Amino acid sequence: MSEADYKELKKGGMMRQAEAGLFSVRLHVVGGRLATAQLRAIREAADRFGRGEIHLTTRQGVEIPHVPQGALAALKESLAPSGVGVGVCGPTVRTVTACQGCRVCPSGVIDSPELAGIVDKELYGKPVPHKFKVGISGCVNNCMKAEENDVGIKGWIEPRREAPACTFCGVCQAVCPTKAIATSVDGRTLIVDPTLCIGCGDCITSCPTGSMREKIRGYRVFAGGKFGRRPSLGRRILWVLRTKEEAMTAIVAVLGFFREHGNPRERFGDTLQRTGFPALETFVKERTGLS
Amino acid sequence: MTMPLLDITGDVCPMTFVKVKMGLHRVPPPGILTVRLKEEALKNVISSLKAEGHRVTNVSREEGIFLLEVTKAG
Repeated sequence: MSEADYKELKKGGMMRQAEAGLFSVRLHVVGGRLATAQLRAIREAADRFGRGEIHLTTRQGVEIPHVPQGALAALKESLAPSGVGVGVCGPTVRTVTACQGCRVCPSGVIDSPELAGIVDKELYGKPVPHKFKVGISGCVNNCMKAEENDVGIKGWIEPRREAPACTFCGVCQAVCPTKAIATSVDGRTLIVDPTLCIGCGDCITSCPTGSMREKIRGYRVFAGGKFGRRPSLGRRILWVLRTKEEAMTAIVAVLGFFREHGNPRERFGDTLQRTGFPALETFVKERTGLS
Repeated sequence: MTMPLLDITGDVCPMTFVKVKMGLHRVPPPGILTVRLKEEALKNVISSLKAEGHRVTNVSREEGIFLLEVTKAG
């Protein structure tokens, strides 16, 4: 097999193993969710074409290792009826990860699997300068590690204070994990510093009078994270977004910036090192009309 | 009559929650209990009180310790 042929196979989720002639086949999984019928089909395929082994990847993916090259097409075909597709590798938009989100998790702020599905449908496997990972955390507890992804999303609660009932009891200031709430100089109002606020909503759950309320229950975007040999953490861009449509528009715009400015084989975080984050923010704001 | 006082400054979650719940169960009419607690316990204690329909009707502070006046639901 030529290197060119192998690159094509790899893009289609077939990864050459250390042992010649064998492949580990990556499957298409969105947000770590599979139906039991799909799991049964995967089990059968691993028994029939591999060695009865399944590998769970670090990003909620599933791979069937030890598949001989000659069996790749048959394996793909055997999985198709259950709706399990073969995954992707190489310079593409990779598996979209997500937690269980607000429909399952009591801490959940957004429906992360829903957004993961939208991102996957629109972007999965699309060509980009280098691998591009999207991860979606339903809240700021951040189980999906948004900052490790090229684009990460976190469910985010932005508080607002309704003045009349507030007694300045000090509870919100005491519970705030980043000390983002300050009393104004004249002592007559509370100010939440949006650059310090981490969107946890603890001030709202703790407020005895119900004066701290939710202003926005939405999406926060982080860009430029990666792990690998030289890890770097993504940084937040834009203000809190209100809808999944806005979040999706922002993700598409970030990807657009990468396509325009990224060099081949350059991770997005490294592109941003060259261009600076302000260039990305300006681009995304212009493209989307978001602020 | 002195108002009943519950001191949970020496407790950690979930005992803070359990003691407040038991304290409220035993509190005589008019159902007002003052809870003395540390800053770390504020979030969990207040959010669980609110979830069970009780109200925090006053908050005061003495040297890093909070005093919550809790009015029992119903």
